Amino acid sequence: MTPGVSVAAGAGAVPRSHRRRGVPTAWLLLLPLIVSLASVSVYPILDGLWLSFTNTSLVTQEHAFVGFANYATLLADPQFWNAWRHTVVFTAVSTLLETLIGLGMALVLFEPFIGRGAVRAAMLVPWAMPTVVTSKLFGWLFDGQHGVINWLLLSLGLIRHNVNWYGSVDNAFATIVMADVWKTAPFMALLLLAGLQTIPATLIEASRIDGARAWEAFWYVRLPLLWPTLLIAGMFRALDAFRIFDLVYVLTGGGPADSTETLSTLSYKVLFSALQFGYGSTLSTAMFVTEAVIAAGFGLFIMRQMRRRA
Amino acid sequence: MAHIPPAESGPVPPASPAMPRASRRQVLLGAGAAAGAATLGLPRRARAADRTELSFASAKFFGKETIAQVVDQYNQSQGKVHVTYIELPPPSSSTEVHQGLVQQLARRNGTPDVFTQDVIWIAEFARAGWALALDPYFSADVRKQYFPGLIEACTFQGKFTALPWFVDSGMLYYRTDLLQGAGAKVPETWDEMTQTAEAIQKSGKAQFGYLWQGKQAEVLVCDAVEVIASNNGAILAADGKSARVNDEHAVGAIQFLYDTINKSKISPSDVLSWDEEPSRMPFTGGKAAFLRNWSYVWGISQDPSASSVVGKVGVAPLPHFPGGHSAACLGGYQYGVNAASKNRDAAIEFVTWMSSPATQLHFALQLGIAPTRPAVYDEPELEKQQPFMHRLQSVFTGATPRPVAAKYAQLTLVLQSAFSKALVSGQVKQALDEANSRLDSILTST
Repeated sequence: MTPGVSVAAGAGAVPRSHRRRGVPTAWLLLLPLIVSLASVSVYPILDGLWLSFTNTSLVTQEHAFVGFANYATLLADPQFWNAWRHTVVFTAVSTLLETLIGLGMALVLFEPFIGRGAVRAAMLVPWAMPTVVTSKLFGWLFDGQHGVINWLLLSLGLIRHNVNWYGSVDNAFATIVMADVWKTAPFMALLLLAGLQTIPATLIEASRIDGARAWEAFWYVRLPLLWPTLLIAGMFRALDAFRIFDLVYVLTGGGPADSTETLSTLSYKVLFSALQFGYGSTLSTAMFVTEAVIAAGFGLFIMRQMRRRA
Repeated sequence: MAHIPPAESGPVPPASPAMPRASRRQVLLGAGAAAGAATLGLPRRARAADRTELSFASAKFFGKETIAQVVDQYNQSQGKVHVTYIELPPPSSSTEVHQGLVQQLARRNGTPDVFTQDVIWIAEFARAGWALALDPYFSADVRKQYFPGLIEACTFQGKFTALPWFVDSGMLYYRTDLLQGAGAKVPETWDEMTQTAEAIQKSGKAQFGYLWQGKQAEVLVCDAVEVIASNNGAILAADGKSARVNDEHAVGAIQFLYDTINKSKISPSDVLSWDEEPSRMPFTGGKAAFLRNWSYVWGISQDPSASSVVGKVGVAPLPHFPGGHSAACLGGYQYGVNAASKNRDAAIEFVTWMSSPATQLHFALQLGIAPTRPAVYDEPELEKQQPFMHRLQSVFTGATPRPVAAKYAQLTLVLQSAFSKALVSGQVKQALDEANSRLDSILTST
């Protein structure tokens, strides 16, 4: 800390005129970074926004400004709202389940037991697997005729007939949530495990001495201290879950009867199958806005929690 | 044949880096060998400069040979044109192939000079002006040498813009042993098929009567086009400017598909999530009496390591409704010439060779893809080596194109969603009404 403080103090001592003279140099030094960021990040976003106000289509070869026409279409498009609802519900349900299950896994992995290192490493396997592979795997597990899941449930006497996991509007969405939870809960567990390790063991020890039982020690000591980690991990997961694409694309293609269509699969179809870049960009912009709202919601909540604590 | 380079050097492309090295080695071996090097290397370099360079982009297909090998044979068969093959992803990644082609063609810089296109992109490429109209080069007499359904699919607003390469279509697979056991003949109408399937299911000899593909995907549109056309219906009106997917013909046909799951119960509800392979497996596993699928299933069904029904499978045109005729959804790829190509004549020469009866026969024998010229089916060599393909002539004669529309990619998304909704909910009329008005609004907007 000391050198940093001394540098800051030194900067404060420099005369005003001198400091101003440094400003152009600072901008000059920042310029390469600004240019590269602007070209790979800001420009595509602005261009996407611009496209969303045009009727650009590679098929019809049109490229004209149409104002808010695309947005009017969007608001009246039942397919968009259908996909929007699915995406929001998917994000909420899968994030919640993954956080709860991940927390449970983290608490178990935090306790010392033989082979803990190996279990911690093995836990990452589902997360490290490419999602397309996971999707194929779940496709076979939950296959309505030859799937292991149906066979197990039948053998255990829990069901009488094969369940049609992907071909029925009632089950397809839940099956995709299940696959996502299987894949991502370990990742949440790892993040939360890291959070648990930052909590000083002395606090738990002190609570024990005060007579707190395991549950009380968790609820009153660990959980409040883990809260910031939980929120940040939850936000990352929610923003990632919102973009759900590969599982749906491989397993159901959005069907049956649009019951698993999400914003990512819908915009992919409009952008890359139908090559309607204008309307597709409008869809993507709507997705971006929703995601920004989710991020802002989490951000505000986290800030308020921090402030209350400080 | 005189132009073909010596066998040991193989079909090395011109300007190969291997050549100078070979020459140097030859020089070291002595003057006589150096003379040999001249005959080996120099004529080819000279020829490379004279030849017209063409680029040819196609999705990847392969069998005993690859497309690249066939292109090499063309390069060696003559000395005027040299074709470079650009391999695109396989047709299973159809969206990526389409995207790659559109991105290249939209640049209008003449690359690739020649390309191959799925039958459903023809109208789109024609309307965008990317595909050269081939009418001046292939007269009506030449066009008559192909299956009529194909020529219909290759013609957009009166212009012939694609030259047929190979054809595939939906067809009915059936179990000869089960049909014999039930004393039934090969069904010609959907009613006959339903009755036979019910009887076989009741006897317990097969778990499923009829398997098809109901996954919300392109294949569902194919299955739907087949039943609708076999009921004298169509997705679009004859002029292609309005939809008619909610008339009684279409509604009755889709209702039939719904009934196979819910009324006659000859199909499991799993078909609603199945595309080609999941529906093929129970059939080749001996669990089903009938299957609608493409021609690739035949090879698998006759392979003892993958099938338990070897020698018990028959193939027929799909059934139809009373008063209708059998319809098979047309698939396959066609050649197109880039309208911006700077080597038009060479490109025409190349596609003429590629689509000629001899090359089509070669493709059939070496890559297992079916000819688009009925005459090739009469070749004794085809009958000997591909007896199954030989029998498909009658199936392909009834092949029906999907809507020939520039905005097909948009139309199919609406259709996939609507058919899936109709089949899941049973509200057939309502789902098709909705689809019809959405199709109309896509067709009328420019």
